[in-house]
Amino acid sequence: MGCSLRIWPILVAGTLGALLAGQAFSATYILTVAGLGGEPDYEQRFTALATDIDKIMKTGGQTDRIVETLKGPDATRAKMEAALNRIAGQAKPADAFVLMMIGHGTFDGEEYKFNLPGPDISAPELAALLNRIPAGRQLVVDMTSASGGATAALKKDNRTIITATKSGTEKNATVFARFWVDALRDPAADTDKNETISALEAFTYADKKTAQFYTEQKHLATEHPQVDDQQHAAAFPLLKFGAATAAITDPAKRELAAKKDDIEGKIDALKYQKDLMAPDEYKRQLTALLIELARTQQELDK
Amino acid sequence: MTTNIQVNRWDRRFRLSGVLSVAILLACCLSASAQTLERAKALSKAHDYDGANNAFKALIAANPRNAEDRVEWGNLFYERFNPGEAQNLYTEALGIDPKNAHALLGLAQLAADGYDGKANELAEQALASDPKLYQAHELMAKVALEDDNQQKATEQADAALAIEPTALTAIAVKASIDLLADKQSPWVAKINNRGEGYATVAHFYMINRRYEESIDYYRKAIAATPDLWAAHSQLGLNLMRLGREQEALKELSLAYDNHYRDAATANSLTLIDSYKKFDTFRTPTTILKLNKKEEDILRPYFQTELDKIIATYEKKYKYKLAGPVQVEVYPDHEDFAVRTMGMPGLGALGVTFNSVIAMDSPSGRAPGSFHWASTLWHEMSHVYVLNLTNDRVPRWFTEGLAVHEETAVSPDWGDRLSPDIINAIHEKKLLPVADIDRGFVHPTYPSQVIVSYYEAGKICDYISQRWGEGKLLDMIHEFAKNRPTVDVIKEQLGMEPAAFDKDFMAMIDKETASTVAGFNEWTKGVRELSQLTKDGKTDEVIAKGRAIEKLYPDYVEKANVYEFVADACLKKNDKACAMDELGRYSKIGGRDPDTVKEYAKLLEDAGKFKEAAAALERLNYIYPLDAELHERLGGLLLKNGDTKDAVREYQALVAMHPIDVAGSHYDLAKAYQANGQKDQAREEAISALEAAPDYRPAQKLLLEVTN
Repeated sequence: MGCSLRIWPILVAGTLGALLAGQAFSATYILTVAGLGGEPDYEQRFTALATDIDKIMKTGGQTDRIVETLKGPDATRAKMEAALNRIAGQAKPADAFVLMMIGHGTFDGEEYKFNLPGPDISAPELAALLNRIPAGRQLVVDMTSASGGATAALKKDNRTIITATKSGTEKNATVFARFWVDALRDPAADTDKNETISALEAFTYADKKTAQFYTEQKHLATEHPQVDDQQHAAAFPLLKFGAATAAITDPAKRELAAKKDDIEGKIDALKYQKDLMAPDEYKRQLTALLIELARTQQELDK
Repeated sequence: MTTNIQVNRWDRRFRLSGVLSVAILLACCLSASAQTLERAKALSKAHDYDGANNAFKALIAANPRNAEDRVEWGNLFYERFNPGEAQNLYTEALGIDPKNAHALLGLAQLAADGYDGKANELAEQALASDPKLYQAHELMAKVALEDDNQQKATEQADAALAIEPTALTAIAVKASIDLLADKQSPWVAKINNRGEGYATVAHFYMINRRYEESIDYYRKAIAATPDLWAAHSQLGLNLMRLGREQEALKELSLAYDNHYRDAATANSLTLIDSYKKFDTFRTPTTILKLNKKEEDILRPYFQTELDKIIATYEKKYKYKLAGPVQVEVYPDHEDFAVRTMGMPGLGALGVTFNSVIAMDSPSGRAPGSFHWASTLWHEMSHVYVLNLTNDRVPRWFTEGLAVHEETAVSPDWGDRLSPDIINAIHEKKLLPVADIDRGFVHPTYPSQVIVSYYEAGKICDYISQRWGEGKLLDMIHEFAKNRPTVDVIKEQLGMEPAAFDKDFMAMIDKETASTVAGFNEWTKGVRELSQLTKDGKTDEVIAKGRAIEKLYPDYVEKANVYEFVADACLKKNDKACAMDELGRYSKIGGRDPDTVKEYAKLLEDAGKFKEAAAALERLNYIYPLDAELHERLGGLLLKNGDTKDAVREYQALVAMHPIDVAGSHYDLAKAYQANGQKDQAREEAISALEAAPDYRPAQKLLLEVTN
């Protein structure tokens, strides 16, 4: 993970910038489903988490988000299918789609099922529904027990899959969903401070908090969250805040913006060389570049 | 992590696995069955334990109703460090012959090894079956001396010697009684250069925390009997206790390589090997040993507290330690537990060996379950008292004083009145001051060690209140003269121990009367509170909770009344009510980090920033390995203008390698800047920007601190 993270900013930083800029006119469809709790405590917990996600996703006045949440008795297979079919009919290839699943899952050794009031939905059945959605970038966050058992069936190009468990055999109720929701509302999750929480940033936050939970409680960890494609997850903006996407329209500042891009590229390249350089020399060059970048940004902000 | 899998490789499965081979062995060796017991013993002596085990299997198969054979087999398991199987075999033997003296003695020995109060009862039963079994008298003599009951120890040793004049343990017990009283003993010569006798004396020095003398006698034992591997192991353990790791390693390895592989030996070797994961930090007065993975976070807090403790105790005890005190902090509780193996009492959180302290790290326990600073003050009190008395202090007094010191630092520190203690007071189970040591060494009910800590602490509180704090120091000096508790109480407090007990118990009864009397009502009330909460009856929860919390205000553990009430207040959106309730929870000693953080948030929302910071500061003494705590506390301190402590908090945050690397460095940069440390602020701004080059607040700060 450390190695790929060191490399990807160079490879995809430009792509991510283009994606962020290009997304201004595309939509993101977000469907959250809180499945069957089975007992009042879980029912309440799952519903509360789904409600929180719904609220977070609808906050900020971003009109490019179409948010739908199914919870409690509404979270049936029929309603979930209907919601996915509706999105399939509306979404365009330039759009993004996010499915977040909270609750219990089961895995019988071959097939994963998401537990819903009434009939459950299996991973292949879900995959068939998702495959009909034309959105060019898709993210599935399956936060149920045994969710790792769904990955193989859901896997597809341009679809990032995050699961709360490593495999279908991790069958205990999970805590990952709780920390995923925390990631969406904690600015600390935005580790690169670009005012956007990417799917990878949210995953990393929730993953670390989940591990910390088991360590602190002195319990054996019964869930090991997974992300199937880190590069795509890094390039998938989940939540934007602040003025991150404000495009530069002033021609006078375009030169400064280009200079800024250049310095950022140099910083990325320098960081990539860090292990090969003498520490003092690395520090000297980094400091000079960071000061130059800060001054350029200061000019841009005027 | 340490295990004793290797040392306990023999188990019942191993015994049963040979059932088939037994038949074969029987068919071949029926004629040899009369010699099997001797063969088994010979094989064991030759370290062929598997062979000996098989021989015993054959013996039992040939004579299934022979209780003595089972006892001998049990003895083999006992010698090979498998008390569980030994106990099973002794019990099986008693199933065949309910009065088998040797089986009863075996069980008594197992109980004595675990400092179980049943040892005496079992030894008495053994003697009832066989009045000539002098070993039972010896065992009772040892147990009595471990309880510091010298009279009974002498009587039992004499009884053993009357049956067997050369009884070595009895002779060693008599020698120990004299030596512990700092007297020359004619009984030492009667040990007659038998290593096991010297080892018994060494054991009693160890029990009394006189580790240097214990080491001397284990050396004598080894000189007399070089292949006494148990003595090599014990010598190693005692050297380790005093921080002499190299020699400890040598002795423990020697024991291990010569088949002496009990849990203490094997696990101690593993622990020594794990020391490479630790770093040692020295000052003129302290040696701090911390695990590398958490040293950056813990070191500032531990070092500050250690320095504060030393300054406080130097004044209080009017004593300066001759050398530095060593504090070892173990993140893995099992590693810490190795340091207390084979010792009586409850080394639950920390243990002191003269000037060496081993303790759990805050990370070794679930957050909120352990107050590390309280433990450190407790153990440091032992260091001073043990050094002041040259280790001649009864267990109850040093423990009591250490408990007394915990709450002297802050009333919310120290342990609360637990249900076990309430029950012990209710059932009049507190011990007379003359006998209280027995509650630590040979408890007769499961929670007696905990109850004894409480009682000893309260005795010291009572002495301090009635005679003044200085009286405790006077008593320390008296104990240093190796004087017994009874004499010290009489002379220093001017009253008979029985009269002291009467007054003390009256004070305890008065102090705890409402809690003891109302305990059942409180228990019932908490159940009702839980149901009212489930039913969503918030007003009733608040009214009922406030009524019953007065009955048992000390209860701050899971399902405490304060949290029920505070949650109900918040459901009504009555923040002032919740703040008031959680204020009481915090003041009485509530330690759950999430609850205390919730309290601090309420204070912060109400604009009470100083109080909010104070609430969070408490958590640094409980569970400092919490990034959110340091981030929030740093922010509050900065807001309050306490820039120096804000730097400390943000340093801890950075050391925790939080998810938000850039944010943590930026926070620290801000604190440095506010504290006038421009260069450090610049360094931290650069670190923040290295993680997130476009982080505008950090860019701004970098430009501000860059010329």
